Amino acid sequence: MDTNIRQQLSEYIVAHQEDFYRLAYSYVKNRDAALDVVQESIVRALSKSDSLRQPEYMKTWFYRILLNESMNHYRRGKRLVSLEDSNADSPAPASDPAERLDLYAAIDRLGPKEQAIIRLRFFEDMKLEEISRVTGTNLNTVKSRLYKSLRRLRELTGEEVAT
Amino acid sequence: MKDLWEQARQQYRETPPPEELNFAVASALRAGERKRTHRRTVRRSLSASLAACACFVLLVNASPTFAQAVAEVPVLGDLARVFTVTQYTVEDRDHLIDVRLPALDLAGDTDLEQRINTEISTRIDQILQEAEDRARETKEAYVATGGDPDDFMPIIISVDYEIKCQSQQYLSFVITKTETLASAYTEHYAYNIDLTAGREVTLKDLLGPDYKEIANAAISEEIARRSQDPDNIFFLQGEGGFTSISGDQTFYLDADKNVVVLFEKYEIAPGFMGVQEFTIPLPNG
Repeated sequence: MDTNIRQQLSEYIVAHQEDFYRLAYSYVKNRDAALDVVQESIVRALSKSDSLRQPEYMKTWFYRILLNESMNHYRRGKRLVSLEDSNADSPAPASDPAERLDLYAAIDRLGPKEQAIIRLRFFEDMKLEEISRVTGTNLNTVKSRLYKSLRRLRELTGEEVAT
Repeated sequence: MKDLWEQARQQYRETPPPEELNFAVASALRAGERKRTHRRTVRRSLSASLAACACFVLLVNASPTFAQAVAEVPVLGDLARVFTVTQYTVEDRDHLIDVRLPALDLAGDTDLEQRINTEISTRIDQILQEAEDRARETKEAYVATGGDPDDFMPIIISVDYEIKCQSQQYLSFVITKTETLASAYTEHYAYNIDLTAGREVTLKDLLGPDYKEIANAAISEEIARRSQDPDNIFFLQGEGGFTSISGDQTFYLDADKNVVVLFEKYEIAPGFMGVQEFTIPLPNG
């Protein structure tokens, strides 16, 4: 039976590879790093596939691995900012209230956990329960983070972003 | 303010996936699978609480020279003469092939050893050849219909084996071939050898002259039991469902020397049910 789950897993991964790549890219903002993240997630997922017992949780189970890998890279990236990037980026922070960001750019200003919730909810169309499984936090935390993030996005964009 | 989100969503979707993505995913799938089987082999041997034995088995597998050296040692000889391994990998733009192939080394019986080894290697050669032809055809068709050759998802073939039973008397192992194009399909080839008699065992040897009836009854009963779960669906009789085992039915012996009959994916049930295995109890306990 577990060969069956693994086959489903491989098929699932192949079918959704572009979604995975986009999510990874949204964190690491770099093509090669995003490819690395996707690859590492797949290797990790397959080598741990014995721990996936119920195929109906495959999606959230895999996204959890992918998200962890993405955040690891993201944090590492934050610590090791190359000189030219840091020069280009530093004047940008939206502390200037006159400067308004568009919504897509504003998401990058959130903390990594808030970014995850926003992207999974609005770009990957996940239900809140699914997000809570992916992030390993309880449903109430997911909700409060979501509202907090939406408030923050409103401040950053100056637009009413609630849906 | 749906528009705002729609816009952001579109920006998100616009991230172009690079053309290497297909290849990267395929090779990661393969690396992950390799890592997993490696870990599983180690864990399984250890869980038999034969740590020393596990190292031994691994070493035999890893090195034919070591196997040969051990075969000279009388006590260990029985175990050691059984398995050595041929292993190779092919990795290019169109294929990712991983082969880990068992070879038999029966000290006392070169005829049987040769016959089985030849059979294994011809069969695997043929399979790989067919798979490569298929890969080439698929690629040609893909390019002919306007696909970019760089986007072609390499075909992944992996051949591996698993020892199901290894005792003084019996040796049972299953070779699996998995081919992944868009979806994966695995085929199984089983070998069951009676080491004392020096030949391949049949279901008749194990279950007696009424083996067909015994096996059919056990399988039908088990199908009925599994069907009680509404998630399990089998083809009905007359619609390609199970009627009787075939003359060359795939089976192997498990660690407790029980007969396990194996049906490929799609053979008696829809694809999502996967490979179906049935343990047939031996007639007299």
